[in-house]
This record gives sequence, C-alpha cells and structure tokens, in this order.
Amino acid sequence: MTTTLLNRIVLIAALAIAYVGIPILFGGNAYVLGLIVAALTIAGVAVAWALLGNLGGMVSFGHAAFFGVGSYTSAVLAMKLGVPVFAAMLLGGVGAAVSSVAMLPALRLRGPYFALAILAYAHIFQILATEMTPVTGGAGGLLSIPRFPTVLGFDFGEKLGGYLIVLTIVVLAAFAYDAIRRSTWGLALKAMHDTEVATRVVGVPSTHLKAAMLVLSAFITGVVGAFNAHFISFLDPDYAFSSGWTVLPIAAAIFGGYRTVWGPVVGALAIYLVDQLLFKPILPHGHQMILGVLLCAMILFSPGGLMPALRRRTVKESRHAHA
Amino acid sequence: MLTLEGVQVNFGGVQALKSASFSVAEGESIGLVGPNGAGKTTLFNVISGVVRPTAGRLDFRGTSLLKLPEWKRARLGIGRSFQIPRPFGHCTVRENLLVAQRFGAGKKDPKRIDEILDILNLRDKADRDATTELALTEHKALEVGKALATEPSLLLLDEVLAGLETSSKRAFMERLAAVRDRYRLAMVIIEHDIATIAALCPRVLVLNFGQIIADGSPDAVFRDPEVIRSYTGETTLAEAS
Repeated sequence: MTTTLLNRIVLIAALAIAYVGIPILFGGNAYVLGLIVAALTIAGVAVAWALLGNLGGMVSFGHAAFFGVGSYTSAVLAMKLGVPVFAAMLLGGVGAAVSSVAMLPALRLRGPYFALAILAYAHIFQILATEMTPVTGGAGGLLSIPRFPTVLGFDFGEKLGGYLIVLTIVVLAAFAYDAIRRSTWGLALKAMHDTEVATRVVGVPSTHLKAAMLVLSAFITGVVGAFNAHFISFLDPDYAFSSGWTVLPIAAAIFGGYRTVWGPVVGALAIYLVDQLLFKPILPHGHQMILGVLLCAMILFSPGGLMPALRRRTVKESRHAHA
Repeated sequence: MLTLEGVQVNFGGVQALKSASFSVAEGESIGLVGPNGAGKTTLFNVISGVVRPTAGRLDFRGTSLLKLPEWKRARLGIGRSFQIPRPFGHCTVRENLLVAQRFGAGKKDPKRIDEILDILNLRDKADRDATTELALTEHKALEVGKALATEPSLLLLDEVLAGLETSSKRAFMERLAAVRDRYRLAMVIIEHDIATIAALCPRVLVLNFGQIIADGSPDAVFRDPEVIRSYTGETTLAEAS
C-alpha cells in the first residue's frame, strides 16, 4: 500500500470519526463536547499560524489581534447592523484580513523583528477595542452576542451545532493549507525560506506571496475568532485579544508538527484535551506546568513534532512487516 | 537589447561602480572579466535588480529597469545565476526548475524542463534534493538551469565555471555552448579563465575599479596594456612573466 493511499484512508477515517463518531459518542455530553470545541478553536488558529510560519516563513506572536478583530467585527455586525450570523462570521474573517493589511510593511522585517512588530500590532487593536466604547462596549465588552441560528430544524446554537461549525472551519482551513502547499505557489514559498533573493530573480514576487499568506492566515484566524464570539455569546477586549490566542496555538502547532498540515490540529486536540481531562483533575492549580514539560520534551526528542514522529514510526513498522 | 549609461553604485563611502556604460545586442555573447573586487558581480546585481544604482540609466528593450523589482525584470526576460549556487531549499532539482518556469518570462511548457535537464546533464538527478544531494558541478548546472527555465532572452552567468577541475570545466563549457546555440539568447559571462571566455565570447568587457577599461575582441582586449596592468601591475605579459 502506498503512503499516499494510506494517508487518504487515515484522513477519511478521521473525518468519519469527527463528523459521525464524536457526535454519537459525546453528543449528549456537553462538558466533553465543550472541551473539544475549545480544542478545535485553538486548532483553527494553529492551522492559520502554521500556514504563515511554514509557507510564509514568518513567526507571528500576534495572531490574537486577528482573532480579536474577527470576533469583534462579526459580533458588531450581527448586533448593530443585524447581519445574519453565518454571513457576519465570514465578514469577521474579512475584517481580520483587512486589519492584516496594516501589517504589510512589517513583511520587510525578518526573524525576531517581524515577530516583535506583529506582537506590538496586536496590542494596538486591543487598545482600540477598549477605547471605542460606543461600538465595542469598551472594557465592559459585548453581552448577548447572537448565537448561531437553527437551520432546517438543526440548532447550530447548541454545543453540537457549534462543534460541527468549528470542525468544518478547521477542516476547510487545513484543506486550503494543503492545496496551497501542493501548488507552485507553495513550492515557491518553500523555495523562499533559505534564499529569497534567488527566488525573486527567477520571477517570484516573494513579498506578494508572503502578503497573501499573511492575509489568508488572518482571514482564517478571524473566522475562528468570529465563531468563538457567537458560540460563547460574550466578548471583552482582555479575552478577545488575550495572548492565550497566540501562545496556545503556537504550542499546539509545534507539539503536533507545524510543518505538516494536520499536525497543528492533532497538537491542539492532544495538548488541550490531555491538559483538561487528565492533568487538570490531578493538579487543579498549575496543571499547565506538565504541559510545558511535555512541550519541552517534544521539542528536544522530536523537533518536528508529533505527526512526523508518528509517521516515522508507521514507516518503520511497515518496513518491519515487509522484512 | 540592454543599455547601461553612466551606472554608478556606492556602498557607503565605497564606489563599487564608477560610471559603467555599455550595451548588449540580441543574441550576443559577452565575456566580463576583471580582477577580484572590480565590480563584476555588482554590475550583475544592478542589471538583475538586486542592487539599485546610485545614478545612471538602465534600459532593456526600450523599458527602463530602474524602478522595477527583481521579479519583474526576470519576467521581462533577464535571467541570472549566482556565483555561489543558491538552490531552493528542500526542493528537488525538478522543483527548482518548475518554480523558475512557473514564475519566469516564458510559456509553461513541461517539455522545456526535460530539455534543460538533458542539456545540463541533470536528468538522472531530477528527483534529488537540490540542497544536499548534488555535487558542485551539478549545483552550478542547476544555477544555469533555473535561469534558463525562466525563458530569458538575456542570461547573466556569474562564474559558473569557478571551482571546477579542468575536465569538468571543459564539459561544462560545452554545455554552455549548447545552451547558447539552442536558445539563441544573449549571454554575459563573468569568468576568470581567459581561454574559456575566448572560446565562448566574441566580445570581452574588462572592468577594473568599477570602470570599463576595455571593450573588444578577446584577442585585442587581452593584449591591451591597461588590461594587463590591471591584472598584474605590469605593462606587458612578458614583464609580468
């Protein structure tokens, strides 16, 4: 069996479990389903972060800005202008993408300078959200944000509906990431990592490609932020622009393998669910410490992350089986 | 096709190019020689857009290149190689060529990739990792291949023969001649090996201290006392030897 065929079978099985198995198993367990939704929310941002990091070659410490802008845009559009929630969610992504345009001058910066510039940028949006009280509700935030509607008798405002929405967002984001990675754009982006000038002299508009990755990454993060706003029905600047929306997705992407498409998703599910279901009951205060140790161990022993480690193991076992 | 007039480049207090003026005709092959630090690579960097000149005019087929970024110049038909090979990381040889073809100046004909692989003797290395699995000669060939894949009408080759041993150099020279004859493109070649330049180029430019000091046939240029002095400090080859 070829690796490609095996990958496809695993992917179809995983999607079947996600769309059918999980709702059957945990549809009635609001607590576990809520945790999975939270993990998938992190996964969505992690995929967007990895897309920018792996394809665009840029390390961002400011994805909380796109998350926050997306959530506020969507919430304000739905609350003040009566835009339907699903449309508002997509417009939240557009809002985040537009906000990322202001970051384009920073694309000239490399390495830590870009990371610091985007970190500072995230704070600007948090301040704006706090100060623009008539629109955003200021430090008090927004309450009673419209939930997802009932469509054809199915209530997307419930936990299960939210789960299916965020799952679809994450799957579509991962497919988009994979499609770009496999295209000549993806090839050019990969080629740019070590020697950008060498790609420019063969005609690659490297800054444009990086800009496209930044805008797409911001759009995905904004949609996830918007989803979260309508799912929890509440927003305030400290929460929407929390550094947690940057740190947890980065940890998830690195743990799962940010150079793979599904690594950030697997990483987010692994670290969040293991932390909440296993470590938190054992160590209610400071359970994140164990997570930190796990992340360090992963970086030391498998710098590529969980997915490449699993793949190596599968290949090894398959070789043993054929030997 | 290419015209440079009074091109100057300053790096802080250092004047890398003083006032370079010359033109390249369609299909012409020119050798660019000069001692180390003469400004040869800077000249290539100016033409390809990697370095912006401080002053001067730079036109390609009637279009001023001065405000165009590197990638737009490549799409106009200016291809170049780097002195130190810069393969695209984590890409195979074929992927290197695919990127160059996809974003370059010409049609996206997959047959051309195979043709380039054949001419440069890289066919059996097509699926190898370009960064880690190639020998020096193959890296140099890939540099030329990437530039060719963009389908240029002007090819700038920066010391593609440097560091190669005699037999590899001869074989590589034959490949360059095949490239020149097959694609009928204009070439400017930076090279220290006078015999190579004389074999490939009917015209030679000599650059010294950022200025063109000689322009003519290889025979005339390499007998020019100023050229000899620029290399050896002596006025004749006999004195130098």
